[in-house]
Amino acid sequence: MADSERLALIHAEIDGELEGRQRAELARALLADPEVQALREDLRRVCAALDALEEVDPPQELSRSILDALPQSTPSRARSWWSGPRLRYAAVIAAVLAMGAILYETVESPRPAAGDVAGTMAAAGAPTTLDTAQLSSEVVSGRVSLYRDRAGLGLQFELVASAPVDVVVATSDGHTLRVNGLSVRDAPGGPPTTVPLPGLGRSGEAVEVTFLMAGREVGRATLWLPKDP
Amino acid sequence: MKEEDDATLVRRCREGDRAAFEQLVVRYQKPVFNAALRLLRDPEDARDVSQTTFLKVFEHLGDYDPSFKFYSWIYRIAVNESLNALGARKPCEGLDGEEADAAPGPDRELEGRQTGRAIEEALMRIKPELRTVIVLRHFMHLSYQDMGDILLLPEKTVKSRLYNARQLLRDRLLQGGAI
Repeated sequence: MADSERLALIHAEIDGELEGRQRAELARALLADPEVQALREDLRRVCAALDALEEVDPPQELSRSILDALPQSTPSRARSWWSGPRLRYAAVIAAVLAMGAILYETVESPRPAAGDVAGTMAAAGAPTTLDTAQLSSEVVSGRVSLYRDRAGLGLQFELVASAPVDVVVATSDGHTLRVNGLSVRDAPGGPPTTVPLPGLGRSGEAVEVTFLMAGREVGRATLWLPKDP
Repeated sequence: MKEEDDATLVRRCREGDRAAFEQLVVRYQKPVFNAALRLLRDPEDARDVSQTTFLKVFEHLGDYDPSFKFYSWIYRIAVNESLNALGARKPCEGLDGEEADAAPGPDRELEGRQTGRAIEEALMRIKPELRTVIVLRHFMHLSYQDMGDILLLPEKTVKSRLYNARQLLRDRLLQGGAI
C-alpha cells in the first residue's frame, strides 16, 4: 500500500469515515509498520488538540453594533431579469458565447499594446470601480477590481505572478466563466488586464474569483456588485 | 418557546421583520466571530469581519437561494471576508516551509493552554487556504460536503487540503515539541 493510501486511511479514521474493509487495511498497516503507528498517534494528538481549542465569546457589543449599522431599507427578494426559463437559457447562451470570445481573446489573439487597452477602455466610457480585493499569496499578488463601464461589467486584473494564471469567475446564482492563461506581470507596474463579463452579474450579487496556477488554487477573492438604488 | 429554523427567519427578514434578523445575528455571531478569529488571529479584525459579514448578509438576503443551507451561505461570506482581510495585510513571513518563530523547546512541557497556543501559532504559519479547511472542519464541525459547498471545491479537494493541513500542523508541532 502506498504511503498516500495509508495516510488517507488514518485521516479517514480520525474523521470517522472508515468503512469495514478500510478498517482492516489500516489495522494491517499499523501492525506492519511502527512508523505508521507513530504517524497515526501524532495526527490523532493534533486533531484532539484542535478539537480542544475553546470557542471564544464574541465581544458583548458585537450584535448591537451589527444591528445599529443595518441600513433602514428592508432586504427585498431580488427579482432577476433572467428568472424566466427563456431568459435563463438566453443568459446561459450569452455566457457560453462570452466564454468562447474571452478564451479566443486571451489564448489566440495577439496581446494589445497598452495604448490599445487604454483606448478600448476610453471608448467604452470611463469605468467605475465597484469593488476591489487584494491578493497576496506566495505565487500571485496584486489586485482585482470589479468595474462597470458603458459596455457593462468587467474585471480588471493587476497581478504579479511568475506564470500565467487561470481564472474562474462564479456568481452567487451559479453562473461561471473561466479565463485561461490570463496575462500577468512579473513585477509591479504596467497596464492592467481587463476581462468583460457580458451577461454575468446582477445587482447586489457576489462575484467569486478563483485564481489557478497549473490547476492548483493559488488565490481567491470575492467582489460585490452594489445594489441598484 | 420553539426556536424558529433559519429558513423561517430568512423569510421573515425578507418580509421586513428586523427582529428576525436579530435572531439570526444572535444565532450566528459566535461561529462567525470564531471562524474569523481562527483565520485572522486578531480579535479586532475578527470583530470587523463579523460585522461586515452580517451587513452583507442583510444587504444580499434577497439574493440568497433558500434551496441552499443558510449556514453554508453565511459561513462562505465570513470565510471570504476573512480571506479578503488577510489579503489586505502585508505578506507575513514564515508561511509553509519556513521556520516558525521562537520555538517553545523540546521538553514537551506544553500542555493544556500551552498546547492550544502552540496550535494557534502553528495554524497561522500555514497557508490561508489550508487554515480555512482546518477551521471549517475542527472549529465549525462541518462535513466534507458542507466544506465543499462553502469553498466551491469538490470533496476530494477538500479532503486533500485537510490532510495536507493536518500533516503540516503535525510537522510544526513536532518541531516545537508541542506534541
